[in-house]
Amino acid sequence: MDTQRELLQILDEVLSLGGRGLGFTRDTALLGAIPELDSMAVVTLITTLEERLGITVDDDDIDGSTFATVGSLADFVGGKLGA
Amino acid sequence: MPEAAKAGAHAARPHAFFLETRGRGRRFALHHAAQGQAGRVPPRAAIVHAHAFGEEMNKSRRMAALQARAFARLGLDVLQVDLAGCGDSDLEWADIGWQDWVDDIAEAAAWLGSRVDAPLWLWGQRVGALVATAAAAQCGQLAGPLGLLFWQPVLQGRQAAQQFLRLKAAAAAIDDGGAKAAMAALRAQIDAGHCVEVAGYRLPPALLRGLEAATLEPPPAPPGPLLWLEVSPRDTPELLPASRPAVERWRQAGWQVQARAVGGPAFWQTTEIEDAPALVDASGHALAEALAERVVA
Repeated sequence: MDTQRELLQILDEVLSLGGRGLGFTRDTALLGAIPELDSMAVVTLITTLEERLGITVDDDDIDGSTFATVGSLADFVGGKLGA
Repeated sequence: MPEAAKAGAHAARPHAFFLETRGRGRRFALHHAAQGQAGRVPPRAAIVHAHAFGEEMNKSRRMAALQARAFARLGLDVLQVDLAGCGDSDLEWADIGWQDWVDDIAEAAAWLGSRVDAPLWLWGQRVGALVATAAAAQCGQLAGPLGLLFWQPVLQGRQAAQQFLRLKAAAAAIDDGGAKAAMAALRAQIDAGHCVEVAGYRLPPALLRGLEAATLEPPPAPPGPLLWLEVSPRDTPELLPASRPAVERWRQAGWQVQARAVGGPAFWQTTEIEDAPALVDASGHALAEALAERVVA
């Protein structure tokens, strides 16, 4: 499974970006840079990642730095999948 | 023909009213009467809708309305009810418990069942599926087996509650605050029996605890037909992995289960309001099929 591609699809869908999200790179800034990513969207994103990828996110994991960029989020998901 | 279509559209408008509960105030309700080509017809089934929870309900309003109208055009009666504390219904969030929602659906089903001579169905979306399941246990003994239609059901109320409380953690994370500390403070408040305020909702412990205890297991009620529908954005839609064992448990309990996923966006949580027309079509087809099987049986 290509984690980053899967992640971009989920981001694009959850934030209703209409395909724009599929062009994101590791360096694309998320939190604070994308207005659609409010607290509601962060929770939806976490839930969708849990449901689709079968990972479990702990309350401790919900941290601003995790959602800073596509790269930080991909690393976080990758770590969960590898765990 | 455009004139006739216009007249038809007008006739299909739902009847809005307040449903009187037994001593628990009024609930706002929309009754969509079964429509034939020339107006109202005797319905082939009577369906009560149990909506989703919190923001998911708001985002699903449009799809629920589209589906209710589509059902009416298929000759089915639909009753949409705003549960206690939601929409224009009575009671403040701080005053409701989980059992209020279950009673709301059971009483709505009794109301519709007493007016319509047709099989009764409960249609629950997300957390609404948990409410419908509990209500089925409560009113299933009255009128023989009920039918159930689930839209993307929540399997564990505990997960839905956690998601809701996480809004607080997410807000704290965005503000660079301590998400963990925010969650711990919330939990302490709930354990102490206080209401907690999340995303503008004032949640009482009686609602949270009931939600957390709810699971999507076959209720102690006569088994009937169960239509389990999910939406998936994948090219080849399939049920969520967690749903499969749950579906199997309903089958083993004697329910006649049709479970499938159709393509479409997760409209109950997307940032923009979106439509999933394939879900509306699939719901109509599956229900018509289940009703036809009933007649043959």
